Amino acid sequence: MAETKHNPANKTRRTGFKKRDLTGWFIMLPTILLFAFFVWEPLIESIRLSLYTAKGIRLQEFVGLQNYAKVLKHPDFLAAFSNTFVYILWSIIIGFFVPIVLAILITETTFFKSFFRVGIYFPNVMPGLAMVLMWGFFFRPGNTGVLNIILEKIGIAPQIWLTNPKWTIPLIVAVMTWKGAGSTAFIYMAGITNINPELYEAATIDGAGILERMRYITIPNIFALGKTLLILQIIAVFQIIYEPLVMTNGGPNNASISIMQLVYNYAFRDFNYPMAAALSVMMSIVLIILSGMYFKFTASKED
Amino acid sequence: MLFDSYRRKEDGVVRFYDLHSKRTRTLLILIYLLCIGIVIASLFPLVWVFLASFKDIKEFRRSATILPSNFNFSTYVKTWNDLKFGKFYINSFISVIGSVVSAVIFNGLIAYVLGIIKPKGHKIVFGLVMWSLLIPATTSVVALFVNINRIGLNQSFLPLWLSFGANAFYVILLKQFFESLPQELIEAARLDGCSYLKTFARVVLPLSKSIVMVVVIFAINAAWSDFLLPYLVLNGSGKETVMVRLFMFRTSNATDVEILRAVAFSIIPPIILFTVFQKQITEGAAAGAIKG
Repeated sequence: MAETKHNPANKTRRTGFKKRDLTGWFIMLPTILLFAFFVWEPLIESIRLSLYTAKGIRLQEFVGLQNYAKVLKHPDFLAAFSNTFVYILWSIIIGFFVPIVLAILITETTFFKSFFRVGIYFPNVMPGLAMVLMWGFFFRPGNTGVLNIILEKIGIAPQIWLTNPKWTIPLIVAVMTWKGAGSTAFIYMAGITNINPELYEAATIDGAGILERMRYITIPNIFALGKTLLILQIIAVFQIIYEPLVMTNGGPNNASISIMQLVYNYAFRDFNYPMAAALSVMMSIVLIILSGMYFKFTASKED
Repeated sequence: MLFDSYRRKEDGVVRFYDLHSKRTRTLLILIYLLCIGIVIASLFPLVWVFLASFKDIKEFRRSATILPSNFNFSTYVKTWNDLKFGKFYINSFISVIGSVVSAVIFNGLIAYVLGIIKPKGHKIVFGLVMWSLLIPATTSVVALFVNINRIGLNQSFLPLWLSFGANAFYVILLKQFFESLPQELIEAARLDGCSYLKTFARVVLPLSKSIVMVVVIFAINAAWSDFLLPYLVLNGSGKETVMVRLFMFRTSNATDVEILRAVAFSIIPPIILFTVFQKQITEGAAAGAIKG
């Protein structure tokens, strides 16, 4: 469109609110309202809720930060808080490396490549709740648990799995990894495929073997990707709820209770919405900081 | 021959010229065996669900075997009827269809405005939408539930449907695609006297079938699998979805075999969806992951 300074109509249009603007806002208004209701307002509402006492969903009196103090002093909080670090530690040990290994292995295949890709992605599209119930049968103690049946075939004594407090969190993380590793591996595969093939050729001419090419080209090239995915993973692990809720109900003896599960318990078991909101707000602050770090990393990667 | 296909291989570390060494060839075969093992580990649990759900409860409790002694479909039908699963399936379908329609229309409209019409202030709105990606959905579920109760929308599908209309990830996917469309076509429709909404419905959406399909498939899967908000909103209303029913097993005294069969019922639709649309899903996953 030709815009000239001599056209008076254009001049008023530039300063005023055009019909185009009005129509645009009119069309997106319903969606903005939905975002406000489902995403933005609940955040503010959480803060408000956390500063009051309430009877059911009705607010009663302003109590300042008392709900926060109650949460911090609650005996389950310390368990959930320290468990979160155990979850993160195990998710780094198990969950971080598995997708990288999957991606590296599958990239080296040519035959059945799409079959392998589809195979590892399959658990990812299954409903999480159904998968958690399913794994419950695998981890059943006694000789009818599926894993114990398999162990028996190779001559190992049956294990008690989730009821052993030392194994509860690693096993929950293993299930999460089983379900989610495929989609993360896809991102690494895309990253590996995008590496300039000339780099490999130059290295080969310089006499680098397969392992050296891996060590000096593949790994450094997906390092930045790994860093951002690690933050995403930690963000996801912070929010873990239904695995412990359904598989162990937080037990044995709070050994696997997560922070989000504690929020669930406050809100929908004790119907103490203010305490649940206070814990949600604290969680949100941590998560927003982590997400901010993620966006900073991805933004600086573009340079 | 297996190794011939490596002539064209351009990614990863192993090249065709490495294959003259016996060690590399052994390594490759090892890689294939590992990949097969990994795929078995990925798929075996799902296969087991279907195998084990053919057992009756006595066999399930006593025998320590993977395979059932006989395959009898009538037990499946009986559990389906006992648990009244038809009702939960219908409820899930209602929830999924409404969610998908809402996901495409609402996110599509805002993406159209932000990507093509670009009214004054569109950057602020887009910033707010991007910022929504920062807010984890799970932490606001308590406040959202309280709000839904306050305006009396609990026990209804409406909040579940509408919640899919505010998805920042879908908005970004759609906006990027709309921006890549040939703008002349859109201008032409406008010059022909189409209103903005008509242009969206007659020109933009038909040109964007591929990305709309990705959003539809993702939304179907997300709506089918969603359970926390549906459980909180629908529990006790008679409108419980399949996932809500599964969640209620947590506190019920159903038998193991019934739970197992319910799990089987609940994963059949996603299995069909994935088998039919695996290409769109895997490509969409790779594309979405890089942008998201």
